[in-house]
Amino acid sequence: MSKKIVEAAGRRLSLSNLNKDLYPSYGFTKAHVLEYYRRIADSILPHLKDRALTLKRYPDGTEKDFFFEKRCPVHRPAWVKTAKVIHNEGPMTVCLVNDLETLIWVENLASLELHVPLAKAGSPETPDSIVFDLDPGDKANILDCAKVALILRDLLLQMQLESYAKTSGKKGLHVYVPLNRKEATFEDTKRFSKAVAEVLQRNYPEIVTAKMAKESRIKKVFINWSQNDSAKTMICIYSLRAREKPTVSFPLEWEELEILTRQRDPEKLLIMHSEAVSRVGKNGDLFQEVLTKEQKMPHYL
Amino acid sequence: MALQEIWNGTVSFSLVAIPVKLVRAVETGRVSFRMLHRKDYSPLARRMYCPKEEKLVPPDEIVRGYEITPDKYIVITEKELESVSPERSRTIEILEFIDIKDVAPVYYDHPYYLVPSKGGEKAYRLLVEVMRRTNKAGLAKFVLREREYLVAVKSTDGALSLITLHYSGEILPDEDLLSKVGTTRSREEKIESEEKSRMKKIIKEMTADFNPDKYADERRKKIMKLLEKKAKDKGTVEAPEIEEEVEEGVVDLVAVLEESMRKVKEHR
Repeated sequence: MSKKIVEAAGRRLSLSNLNKDLYPSYGFTKAHVLEYYRRIADSILPHLKDRALTLKRYPDGTEKDFFFEKRCPVHRPAWVKTAKVIHNEGPMTVCLVNDLETLIWVENLASLELHVPLAKAGSPETPDSIVFDLDPGDKANILDCAKVALILRDLLLQMQLESYAKTSGKKGLHVYVPLNRKEATFEDTKRFSKAVAEVLQRNYPEIVTAKMAKESRIKKVFINWSQNDSAKTMICIYSLRAREKPTVSFPLEWEELEILTRQRDPEKLLIMHSEAVSRVGKNGDLFQEVLTKEQKMPHYL
Repeated sequence: MALQEIWNGTVSFSLVAIPVKLVRAVETGRVSFRMLHRKDYSPLARRMYCPKEEKLVPPDEIVRGYEITPDKYIVITEKELESVSPERSRTIEILEFIDIKDVAPVYYDHPYYLVPSKGGEKAYRLLVEVMRRTNKAGLAKFVLREREYLVAVKSTDGALSLITLHYSGEILPDEDLLSKVGTTRSREEKIESEEKSRMKKIIKEMTADFNPDKYADERRKKIMKLLEKKAKDKGTVEAPEIEEEVEEGVVDLVAVLEESMRKVKEHR
């Protein structure tokens, strides 16, 4: 057992199993995971702040069992900030990852993936963004998602809405439309995103479906509008993904996405941990506007 | 508290007939509410509503349909249903006596009590006593509210209780279950009063192993047969497609989206 006591912001943390290989076929240990999150902390923390964290823990690495944990573990240090949220069966205490020491503590629990809701814990019914989760069906890939994302961007622009894209870190893309006005409810954003998905399906039936059913997704991109829900979470931007390799959910500028779509190399749409750290060092947080830009959701009655 | 009488008739076996009343043994603790109209607290009634025509449907326009696949039905009339329903009966005819311990709890459906009616007290007490001593229960078929039930009549705390049992066809498959049905044991018996021993003798003669497979829900069988026949003779009916009602707000949103989409396509 490798154990190490570290200090973060004056708080002592005991880190365990640092040599454990959490991405065995790639050779990426828990120490590497902690180092990644330490270096990306400045960029990821604003996106985690004040949101009910869902931990997705891989205690024995990505090739073994994982489990989701919505409740904040009871053995947490006293300084971990929490919030009470209403869950299906009454109130539940959740972790708020608002600082570096909490992020490091959460990663010491091998929560490789960090999932958060679209709304903050204090205002659970009003999402800060509308999200379009583009998921390629069988025989479709991330390049098809990029194509649909670009059409979606244009459509939203016609409606005076700026949008931002990130990779899921797996096969898909996520398009965010920041609102940040605490006006629209999930009911509003879900209705809007569903109507948008259906319009895209009607106009591009050969590549788009708005239907959940697996068979209707073959060779198509499924626009999952149902993520606009208070009970759902999205993978946080800059979170690692638990695949063979440590890939990251990473923001892409629209121009870059246009270029990559023309190059037709899906691999280039997979951002690895090291690339993530160096690009953030160079360009900063491309998703910053998602947290601050105020936009009014079109309201037609 | 006076127990509410649900049914009255006789429990009978061999030449014995005991007049009894059936009463509830349990009452669910569920708190129930009536739906009221907020403005004047009038209790509200349920009505059948047709989403396609958007109006209430009067009772004479309602028929029953057995759903075979979504939106595909076999239509059954009240008359046809009546024709397969068992006759209301005035007796709980005990067919055989079984060892109550042989009835796996999974068969228990709902408990009732039987209380003696006028003139039946003595025979009732006798049956309670003998069943208690012999650990036996009577197995009977009994019609309550258009359904024929398989029931067990047994001695409970000095009274007769009646438990409706599930038919074996209703029990979800469990390979071990049927093996749990054991055999009855005979007991040492003392010499008792003539009447008692006569009743005991009958019970003993009528004792059998509990074999739930012997009994089937006849009405269910008949209904299924009727449905098969109707499907063959008359075919099925199909529900019309209901056009999804689009809310007005959404209609406009869709119009705006389509218009935006058209512009996007022009520019691409």
